[in-house]
Amino acid sequence: MTESNEPKTSTQSFLRLFRASIVLAAIGWLAFVVYGPVINPDSTHPFKLGLDLAGGSQLVYEADVSQVDPAEVSELMNVLRDVIERRVNRLGVEENVVYLEQSSFVTEEPIERLVVELPGVTDVSTAVAEIGSTPTLEFKLYDAELDAQLQATRESLDSLATTSASTTDVEIDGELAVVEPPFTDTGLTGRYLESAALEFAGGTGGQLSNEPLVSVRFTAEGGDLFEEITRTNVGNQLGIFLDGELLSAPNINEAIPGGTAVISGGFTPDEARALAQNLNFGALPVPIELQSTQTIGASLGEEVLQKGVQAGMIGFGLVILFMMLWYRLPGLVAGVALLSYITIMLALFQYIPVTLTAAGLAGFILSLGMAVDANVLVFERMKEEYRAGSSSRAAARDGFTRAWSAIRDGNITSLLSAIILFWFGTSLVKGFALVFGLGVIVSMFSALVITRTLLVTLPDTDKKSGTLLAILFGNGLSK
Amino acid sequence: MDIIANRKIFLLIAAAIVVTAIGIIATFGLRFGIDFTGGSLTEVSYEVSPDKAAVEEVVATLGLTSASVRESVDEAGNDSYLIRTRDLSESERLELSSAATELGTGGEVSRFTSIGPVIGQELRDKAVWAIGGVLLVIILYVAYAFAGIGTPVRSWTYGGITILVLMHDILIPTAVMSLLGLFLGAEIDVLFVMALLAVLGYSVNDTIVIFDRVREQLVANRTEHRVEREEAGIVMADVTYTLDKPYTELVASAVSQSMARSINTSVTTIVSLVALYFIGGDVTQTFALVLLAGVVAGTYSSICIASPLVVAYAKWRGVDVDSVQTTKTI
Repeated sequence: MTESNEPKTSTQSFLRLFRASIVLAAIGWLAFVVYGPVINPDSTHPFKLGLDLAGGSQLVYEADVSQVDPAEVSELMNVLRDVIERRVNRLGVEENVVYLEQSSFVTEEPIERLVVELPGVTDVSTAVAEIGSTPTLEFKLYDAELDAQLQATRESLDSLATTSASTTDVEIDGELAVVEPPFTDTGLTGRYLESAALEFAGGTGGQLSNEPLVSVRFTAEGGDLFEEITRTNVGNQLGIFLDGELLSAPNINEAIPGGTAVISGGFTPDEARALAQNLNFGALPVPIELQSTQTIGASLGEEVLQKGVQAGMIGFGLVILFMMLWYRLPGLVAGVALLSYITIMLALFQYIPVTLTAAGLAGFILSLGMAVDANVLVFERMKEEYRAGSSSRAAARDGFTRAWSAIRDGNITSLLSAIILFWFGTSLVKGFALVFGLGVIVSMFSALVITRTLLVTLPDTDKKSGTLLAILFGNGLSK
Repeated sequence: MDIIANRKIFLLIAAAIVVTAIGIIATFGLRFGIDFTGGSLTEVSYEVSPDKAAVEEVVATLGLTSASVRESVDEAGNDSYLIRTRDLSESERLELSSAATELGTGGEVSRFTSIGPVIGQELRDKAVWAIGGVLLVIILYVAYAFAGIGTPVRSWTYGGITILVLMHDILIPTAVMSLLGLFLGAEIDVLFVMALLAVLGYSVNDTIVIFDRVREQLVANRTEHRVEREEAGIVMADVTYTLDKPYTELVASAVSQSMARSINTSVTTIVSLVALYFIGGDVTQTFALVLLAGVVAGTYSSICIASPLVVAYAKWRGVDVDSVQTTKTI
């Protein structure tokens, strides 16, 4: 399409002006929206900063799913995430994030991970303690034989302790205290717990009236197990252990169907409520182990961000200055297009939302380079046409047509690379790939739509006229 | 200076640079950070910092063998020590941080990172797979873009050379990183991988833009020969092309036409990276330097290696690159 087969009517130039105004107005409006969170801290769409920029801690746990049916893994991991999320929420950290991550097929056996991100928290000890506070609930049976054995050992140790007390280690006393209670495992644990609730005894069955109790409801599987244990052990004692400590050891009078049990242990109402809560929160479906900890001081993150933004602004200013000096009027247009590019990207960061990390910023810088490159490619082609005698507007149109294949190939390979990196990469690489991929698409839009719309709206001229305008369309060191 | 005519000189220089880079990496090696090896990194900052020996002693007292202590400056400008140890448990972490902060005035743990060995291994594996996948896609796409336009060498060649040039562009920042490790103790971390990924994107784009000009020259200067034949009632056309100018001449004009664009794009990128190096924080300084090395290498290689290599390869394959009568092309 060249200028000659297009009627030079005032309608045409009005349309061009109209399109350019719409583009500029849209960008202006978007810039205003993007700027919103900066002046209004309560904005609903603030920028989300990653831990490396905002400061905070990241804890990575590995879940041991080796004892679990593979078909159940994903369900159990979701339960695990919910439990940990509730615990983390108790820390009162705002904006905390708990998510699951699975090592990809690259590793031989998939490893299930749980990642906890705590923005602003740099002392992880409280968090680690809270997350690790696994109240384990176990039901064990009294074993008379084991009790007798333990009794015998205890007596012999006692006599040993008295005879050697003056000469050898005093620690023997300490060891005596931790001799295991005479109970054996039944396999019934907190894993089979569905819910726990605070109750008050009705004063029947030998219990004190209004004594606080914790009633537990088992899952269907757990209920069956509980019924079987109670049926085969009538007359025996069932010990209820919390965190390895014996809470109570009621006698089993008969088989108990229905999947519920009551724990009594001389609780105060507050203790009982806390226990019920802990059991609800605490029944971790699979054991977890802390695998990696990462803490970035808030001041460090702030400095990185502040200096990074400063460097970005100065770098960007220099780029626009260079473009204006070398490409003159089209360079100015490129400056506007690049500003639009940045505005659109920032808007996407806010509304998708994209969590900004140092890796993401690397992707941003690279895609900004691509955006500049698209403009440079077009202007170089335009220069050739303009020098050859085309009018500035026709040269601009030809410039876009002829630069298109290079822009297309470069951007498609970049986009494909971004997709693959996003697909394969670890979370950091994903952050880079996402921003880079978005950046490539937006940079194409900014060069092909914004630069183009504005460029063809500029008044038409040609090199031969030698006017100031004609010189403004020239470039480099030439006139 | 005609780069294509003097291609031997440029390719020799490139070979020398590549050999030097490999030599540097092989001799001095690369210092992998805990992101890859697993382990813990504790940064303790002080207002008045203690002797390095005192810190080392504390670390040794805790029984942390094969630990290293390095002097550093934290982001706020305070003196600090970077203590690198094996993967620490929560209780070991507490012991180390309380012991180390007591050594000097205003001691504070400004950064703590602990990475399990499995995560480090996984990061490595994934990075290798991801980059492998990217290379494959680039070869396929470039080959597709050049298919059927009548170039004297197979369209695969352009994809292959894009990758060779890419390796050159990755090798140079890696050698720079090796030297940074040697002199400044810089370690290869995730940010370095990000920088390499960025160089990868930049390098491929740069090479493709030049090859696009080569493609345009080929299309503009070819004569089509169409031979129609009938086979079992179906008319088929065999299309072959003859180039009107010597291949060297076409590639040379493609290079000289892309020169201004290559230089201008590089200048803008270099300007922003220099700003990042001087103004950005310490964390991004190494990143900026590595990227800078990659961009300079990428610009040089797209002009002085990619196109000369295509011509050299064509000649090696027996194509008469300096004469007009190019035979039937594929």
